[in-house]
Amino acid sequence: MTIHPLHTLPDSTQAGLSTPYDSVWATAGVPTAEPVGLERVMLAEDKLYVVLAVVLIIWAGVLVFLFRNDRRLARLERRLEQGTPPEPGTHLD
Amino acid sequence: MPGALPDIDLRRYRWIRNGVVVWMTAVLLGAFLLDIPRINILEHTARNLYFHVPMWFTMMAAFFVSAYHSFRYLQTEAPVRDVRAEQAAVVGALFGILGLLTGMMWARFTWYVGTGKWWNFDPKQTMAAVQLLIYGAYFVLRSSIEEPRKRARIAAVYNLFAAVTLPFLLYVLPRQMESLHPGAEGNPAFSDITHPIMRLVFYPACIGFIGLFWVLYTQRVRMTLVRKRLQDHLDPEPAL
Repeated sequence: MTIHPLHTLPDSTQAGLSTPYDSVWATAGVPTAEPVGLERVMLAEDKLYVVLAVVLIIWAGVLVFLFRNDRRLARLERRLEQGTPPEPGTHLD
Repeated sequence: MPGALPDIDLRRYRWIRNGVVVWMTAVLLGAFLLDIPRINILEHTARNLYFHVPMWFTMMAAFFVSAYHSFRYLQTEAPVRDVRAEQAAVVGALFGILGLLTGMMWARFTWYVGTGKWWNFDPKQTMAAVQLLIYGAYFVLRSSIEEPRKRARIAAVYNLFAAVTLPFLLYVLPRQMESLHPGAEGNPAFSDITHPIMRLVFYPACIGFIGLFWVLYTQRVRMTLVRKRLQDHLDPEPAL
């Protein structure tokens, strides 16, 4: 599918901020079938939940990182306590 | 050689960290509260411009930081350069993976609605996955060499090659093909449908995520330097 540059304004009934932009994917064929399953949830509220899901993915990624660092720190502390040097090298954990 | 490992400027680090926290909070608020035009298919997901795209900018910034330190390592052979190159690549890969996942989520409920497709081999998507594999090989390469100086040198050379492929895989090649991504068919990166008001959040989001990268990266570097100090302290004998 291609994003076509804008040529003509659509004769939209509701003129507003978005009017000139509505035509851009006019050729793409907006699905009209009733969404089912996961899509019913994600397409609700003008698809705002998709943005929420994207933000949650990023948040989860940062959390994974946080917990890995935590584990790494705990290992360092344990080594410091026991007086055993870490393995040579700079492996991730 | 304990003296060979320099300290991080913690004062500067804390200032930037706090700044990033405040800045990103403002970006998040702006991303959800600022009114944007509704476009067919996209609807509210146009807001993903503030999240998905900065992931890639951040990844590229991280990989270039990594390449810079690899280059400096080859010049100076200072162990800290190797640590910085590795940790920047680690955090860069994190942002790359998040970029892929957010892109999959975005496309699934916009262009691929009704098809059930999560992955459709869009040129940019495919090249980005290849790019991540190239950096995955960097980590495999590192873990396969035991001797620290040799590992650092070989990894640095590989890393420079990996960075060179970056603009080609993410810019040059995808633009030669039809793609969902703007920039295909020779268009500039911002497509005609991007309302100017979105730049108000988009640019700060890029700066904010690159700041977040810098915070995470500096944390990792600090941790690795502590690890090296501990190693030198408890076991001064082995190499490095």
